Amino acid sequence: MSAAMATLLRRSLRPLRAFRGHPRPAADVPLRATSHGAGLLYPEHIPTSLVQKALLAAGSAGMALYDPYRHDMVAVLGETTGYRTLKVLRDQMRRDPEGAQILQERPRISLATLDLGKLRSLPEDSFGREYLRFLDVNRVSPDTRAPTRFVDDEELAYVIQRYREVHDMVHTLLGMPTNILGEIVVKWFEAVQTGLPMCILSALFGPIQLSAQSLQVLVSELIPWAVQNGRRAPCVLNLYYERRWEQPLRALREELGITEPPRRIEGLA
Amino acid sequence: MMFYPMCRRFQFSFQLPGVYQVFESVARKYDVMNDMMSLGIHRVWKDLLLLKMHPFPGTQLLDVAGGTGDIAFRFLNYVQAQHQRKQKRQLRAQQNLSWEEIAKKYQNQEDSLGGSRVMVCDINKEMLKMGKQKACARGYKAGLAWVLGDAEELPFDDDKFDVYTIAFGIRNVTHIDRALQEAHRVLKPGGRFLCLEFSQVNNPLVSRLYDVYSFQVIPVLGEVIAGDWKSYQYLVESIRQFPPQEEFKEMIEDAGFQKVTYENLTSGIVAIHSGFKL
Repeated sequence: MSAAMATLLRRSLRPLRAFRGHPRPAADVPLRATSHGAGLLYPEHIPTSLVQKALLAAGSAGMALYDPYRHDMVAVLGETTGYRTLKVLRDQMRRDPEGAQILQERPRISLATLDLGKLRSLPEDSFGREYLRFLDVNRVSPDTRAPTRFVDDEELAYVIQRYREVHDMVHTLLGMPTNILGEIVVKWFEAVQTGLPMCILSALFGPIQLSAQSLQVLVSELIPWAVQNGRRAPCVLNLYYERRWEQPLRALREELGITEPPRRIEGLA
Repeated sequence: MMFYPMCRRFQFSFQLPGVYQVFESVARKYDVMNDMMSLGIHRVWKDLLLLKMHPFPGTQLLDVAGGTGDIAFRFLNYVQAQHQRKQKRQLRAQQNLSWEEIAKKYQNQEDSLGGSRVMVCDINKEMLKMGKQKACARGYKAGLAWVLGDAEELPFDDDKFDVYTIAFGIRNVTHIDRALQEAHRVLKPGGRFLCLEFSQVNNPLVSRLYDVYSFQVIPVLGEVIAGDWKSYQYLVESIRQFPPQEEFKEMIEDAGFQKVTYENLTSGIVAIHSGFKL
């Protein structure tokens, strides 16, 4: 145990050997120089030591609480704390036929990959149409998800990226708006489904900023409903949403065992 | 991205856009990040630079890469304090003020800086913008000018300034020797070159701690506070790239400066190099 600790400590104390010796003009330094000689596993990858990950996790958690508009900090928290959980998620995706297909084909959700015109032309109660309505009503765009940077495995980086990109679909399935209360309910659902530490932390600390009335509704009705549905439904990461646009939303909800929300919360929080 | 007609660097330095964009994104949080990264010590370093400079009223200062104005504001405070002290001394020694001076005082026309001027030159528009905003907010108006310019090719005539400073800027210049030559050119004979810059730590224990802090903590701070890991990774790496004290001293001497000396601060984390154009 102490040998491992010593190795970790030594590794984090090692300075940047590659840059000693003949000094070059500083402007020649490539912006993406890595700090421990490890290669980049994917284009946006920033390799980090254990110490850096710990500091990032603590710092991003603090900053996310201090400034709730720093969504990038929530993302960083998820990336730095989710390694083990992502492995479990990836393994169970492999065991599921639809999930395995997603891992293989690596579909991405963004304005470039979505055919909004086609979605708009779909029948009213279809999942695709309802998803588009959700985007319009809440004025969100599928392009606001930042790329993963701090996950040290290329497949797991995709898994967390997929988790982020299907977040809006989960909103649609649950019928939750994007106000604070809606987001907290979705986080509870996701926490039960994925077990990601970031979801659990958000679910527990998010309600701090709520009014007493909203908190009451949340605790008495919404959380029990979200947890129940989260437990009952299969993992939402295993759904190949891009192939289910035409499926009626009601049928999809039945397939997953998701019930209607106990009440509408558009006006709350 | 602006193309400056007088700046030839864009043609052969394809790395330059990287440095420029680093400071574009860094500009807004520059001061906050300086405080966080150096735990406020950068203020002491800059104060020590002014103490070393010891400008008297009437000094013409050129502050290169002076973006957000830290050195310029300190200079103005210093010469103003000096000027006030000089006037108090005059009064106490019962040297009466001339009628002109009294009249000027009543008309508020007296130059509280005693003729001192500082020109802040920076290659980056965002940093200059930040500096101007700060100047407005803190009420600095007289004796202050802001110019967009490249340290390797300064937009000034020869023999213009009494003091040339560059604080935490020269390591970002592609051709340091050219910047030093330009510094020599624009200084008056008798003028002084002062450079405040990160340097080599001379104490092994401090060096270890400094390395850990630089590489483990600073990029994290950059990400958490400014949402920008890569710029701050670049910053700590550019510090390691910079020549150590003796080598930099030789480079300054090569540019024609004489009586070149340096002073280590905080075990050599930073050093102030000084030279004269004689």
